[in-house]
Amino acid sequence: MNPMPEKTRRTVPSYCYNCVAGPDLLTVKVENSVATEIGPNFAAAEIHPAGGRVCVRAFGLIQKTYNPHRILTPMKRTNPLKGRDQDPKFVPISWDEALDTIADRLLKIRDAGMIDDKGLPRVAASFGHGGTPASYMGTLPAFLSAWGPMDFSFGSGQGVKCTHSEHLYGEFWHRGFTVCADTVHCRYILSFGANVEVTGGVCAVRRHADARIRGIKRVHFEPHLSPTAAASAEWVPIKPKTDGALMFALIHTLLFEQPRDRLDLPFLRDRTASPYLVGPNGWFLRHPQSKKPLVWDERTNGAVEFDTEGAVPALEGRFTVAEAVETGADDEEWQHREIEAATAFTRMAETMRPYSPHWAEQICDVPAQRIRNLANEYLDNACVGQTIEIDGRTLPFRPVAVTLGKTVNNGWGAFDCVWARTVLACLVGALEVPGGTLGTTVRLNKPHDNRLASVKPGPDGFMVNNFNPTRRGKWEQRPSGRNAHKTLVPLVGNSAWSQALGPTHLAWMFVREAPDNWVRPSYPDLWFLYRANPAISFWNTAELADTVAKLPFIVAFAYTHDETNHMADILLPDATDLESMQLIRLGGTKFIEQYWDHQGVALRQPAVAPCGESRDMTWIATELARRTGLLERYNAALNRGAGGVALKGETYDFSLSTDEPHTVEEIWDAECKAATAEFSDGKDVKDLAWFREHGFYTVPFTRQDWYLYPTMVDQGLRFELPYQERLTRAGIELGRRLHECEIHWWDKQLGEYEPIPRWHDTPEIWTNALKKSGADPADFPFWGLTTKTMQHSTGNNAAIQLMDEVAGNLRTHGRVAINRKTAEKLGIGRDDWVEVRSIVSSTRGRAELVEGIRPDTILITGQFEHWATPYAKELNYPSLNTLVPMSLDLTDATGSGSDLVRVSLRVVEGPAA
Amino acid sequence: MTRYVMVADLRRCVGCQTCTAACKLANGTPPGVQWRRVVDMEVGSYPDVQRVFVPTGCQHCDEPACAAACPTTATHKRADGIVDIDYDLCIGCLYCAVACPYEARTLVNAAEFAYGAEPTAAEAARFDPRKIGVAQKCNFCVDKIDAGTAAGLTPGKDPDATPACVNACISGALAFGDLDDPDSRVSRLIRENKHFRMHEDAGTGPGFYYLWDKDAFAL
Repeated sequence: MNPMPEKTRRTVPSYCYNCVAGPDLLTVKVENSVATEIGPNFAAAEIHPAGGRVCVRAFGLIQKTYNPHRILTPMKRTNPLKGRDQDPKFVPISWDEALDTIADRLLKIRDAGMIDDKGLPRVAASFGHGGTPASYMGTLPAFLSAWGPMDFSFGSGQGVKCTHSEHLYGEFWHRGFTVCADTVHCRYILSFGANVEVTGGVCAVRRHADARIRGIKRVHFEPHLSPTAAASAEWVPIKPKTDGALMFALIHTLLFEQPRDRLDLPFLRDRTASPYLVGPNGWFLRHPQSKKPLVWDERTNGAVEFDTEGAVPALEGRFTVAEAVETGADDEEWQHREIEAATAFTRMAETMRPYSPHWAEQICDVPAQRIRNLANEYLDNACVGQTIEIDGRTLPFRPVAVTLGKTVNNGWGAFDCVWARTVLACLVGALEVPGGTLGTTVRLNKPHDNRLASVKPGPDGFMVNNFNPTRRGKWEQRPSGRNAHKTLVPLVGNSAWSQALGPTHLAWMFVREAPDNWVRPSYPDLWFLYRANPAISFWNTAELADTVAKLPFIVAFAYTHDETNHMADILLPDATDLESMQLIRLGGTKFIEQYWDHQGVALRQPAVAPCGESRDMTWIATELARRTGLLERYNAALNRGAGGVALKGETYDFSLSTDEPHTVEEIWDAECKAATAEFSDGKDVKDLAWFREHGFYTVPFTRQDWYLYPTMVDQGLRFELPYQERLTRAGIELGRRLHECEIHWWDKQLGEYEPIPRWHDTPEIWTNALKKSGADPADFPFWGLTTKTMQHSTGNNAAIQLMDEVAGNLRTHGRVAINRKTAEKLGIGRDDWVEVRSIVSSTRGRAELVEGIRPDTILITGQFEHWATPYAKELNYPSLNTLVPMSLDLTDATGSGSDLVRVSLRVVEGPAA
Repeated sequence: MTRYVMVADLRRCVGCQTCTAACKLANGTPPGVQWRRVVDMEVGSYPDVQRVFVPTGCQHCDEPACAAACPTTATHKRADGIVDIDYDLCIGCLYCAVACPYEARTLVNAAEFAYGAEPTAAEAARFDPRKIGVAQKCNFCVDKIDAGTAAGLTPGKDPDATPACVNACISGALAFGDLDDPDSRVSRLIRENKHFRMHEDAGTGPGFYYLWDKDAFAL
């Protein structure tokens, strides 16, 4: 081989954030101006938990750059008819024509009023996976901010493809929008479908591998033998959607089969609401004047306010309280004298008493003795009473964790699971302490980059959490967004992320057909689409594509032609990962298992020139702002921090002038300087040129800040567990408001607001939904599940040949995985074509017969069945998304659903025509 | 003396194929040709099943059956244990592929690219016409090792002298180095852990060691 001349080779540092488990650092080898290789960035080996490495997806970025199917010039639709069966007849146009067309539309919309006659924003936008597009869209957020009202209601999988209930309840209870084990210190993990070896990112994979070598025990519950199950000490093939029952049985075992003093009683007493007294109407007993919750003081043998100095609250028992009030929904109040009350802990124990291992065995298909053993192992490893010193502070050491994965922690039953997981941590004092169960980021509270700073004391001894109002006169009866997140989901709040975390499938459903006494939402006049393909990645995809076709004007930032931008009016080719520029925060604590001993920023920079006419998103955003007369507001938004870092701080000022457009380089130069000034208190300012060479900048991050516990202690706060008074109040008030409007189709969801969750036979919800649809459950005897692979999870890489090729080394890739004995009974052989059918549609794929799956379950990996995306449409892979209905019956109180569907299975001749 | 070997810790490997993808970019292999790949294996019957991910490729044997079968001496073992192919001598007869117990060799008879007949810019940059019509396989990124050692670097320790798959491995499953150096990481791993070599009974003395501590599983 003839080596290239030395002068034509260079290595460019950059980052990958194609999934929320990043960002991670990489290098791009460039030979003769062509990107040829991706590699780790070993300059970051000492500061990055995975030694500066990136996962397999990043290696696809070379092909992503040079994919011959890329759209490389702006295009406009010339066929006014839209639909899967219509050829869009896209034709190339100039950037000027494309941007002027969009600007003209936007200006007309502004003239008509930003809000339409239904009270909804006329402009909507949808982005892909988990907020990661924000790290590729340059300064588009500044344009969106400058524009004003924007509807983010239409999801591309948000709410049903994420760990939705964990997001909402996790952040509510312990600022854990995402939750993980403190793998670095943990010794024992009960993992309910948390497929960290696939979706946990390189930090999780490396940490768990290290942990296995040092002897951690991880027990993994999942209906199929995923890579995480494979790498675990034990695989428990639990029946789908019964995880909550099993966790209840674990709690039961700890409460009723072990001496009480083996639990972390000081943690329960001082750091949770366990001692709060609950009155006969189900509300906390409160002091008649201060209205503070009461506890029973064992020292004085009387009820006192929860924060009484020197009080020793009773953890459990029933007590007679001389005088107290209860405050219910809508400020309804009961005044009591000589009233009997139980502690919240006692109420929990009474609720959990029936849920023995023997009871759970029948539900979960897991032997009672095995459940009992797991509970006892969890307790044995909890090290209750032990401490560890972290950066100079002595903290509890509780090296046990319970982790939850997708489908376990979204949709029906997820409330049970997230509650039980968090209570299991509380029982042994393992919540937010070294070794235990941790949150790693916040999104519903600010600041997003520091979850500890988001903790503010509330009146009842808990953290402040801003629910959407449910009281009469305050409740948002008329939704301000198409998925009605403020109207239907109190817990989701109204932060910048809240709308995207609302019931996003309801937006798709309701624009087609509104339920009773609900105003059908309008279609937005203009819809921006970036790094999202909901016609593949959401549910009931055929109907969703049909809905997309009804949207009057779609502006799609387009990588290739795909199933959603097939309906677009304008296609804008944005420069991709290796061609464009952006600064991103890294380290500290971020999503999933991204908790580092350092924090800082990294630059993504053009390793090669953009292909064709593709342009940097920051250039596009600036042009949109300029052409819509929003330049001043756009630049002001950048100065406030819309590019990721405020350009003016206490010790620095790199503000941009607001009356002129700035180049991509000028903007990111200011961001680089501001970010480094922020991290160094203005002492160490690095410009864009420095970042182009070095790639990243970090400062130390104290490990103590991995844990919320010290903040809770310092502020004298308690985790709002186990008793859910506030949630119950919100649910009752929400129900009253809805019923006042004659709305009853949300009643099942209202039933999920319980102070202590009870088992409701979650799997039966799916069979009941079938019956309600007129189907016979016997016709759909299997559970259909999906799972991710590291190669294809997020990143829009179904069109990347390399990913398909290497994913093919996994046996179930692109196939329908069926238990071998089940297949034999049905006469299905390996490689046979099979049809999987649900009540809404069917999908076809080749059969893969495996032992590592429950006999009552089939598995379809990834999200495929493309019909427009070049390369991907030739694959003929099945997709569960085709099969899963969007259904109110299958929507939980948080507005979430599960990737789960009842299906039938039969042999067919071949792929669908 | 030097004996370069690979170690794959099966306790760490999660089958992510990052090594496979890194190898393909580093060596410019065409679609379907994988010098390094991770096999997805299942042992047992439901519910007592184990799934294990096994990185495979050329085992760089002490007594390589491929070299013995090669009629042109194109396949040869270097003094440092690396089994390499001289593409100028190879005639593509595939005797080596038949002889290899590890299915580690591939013959590519025509140029193939990811998206059809035309190479992408990256594929064009890496296309090597000498690899058409000859056998090809993992060579432990021999050019990198040679350039690295010439620069005074240590294979398995310094990334610029280490195979791409090892550099890329996110779980730390893959290790590379000199077995004759008792202080190398591979020597330490092999010394301190239960291990086996694939098809050891074939007598080829593979230079690829697997760490594994579960007795129930046997390759």
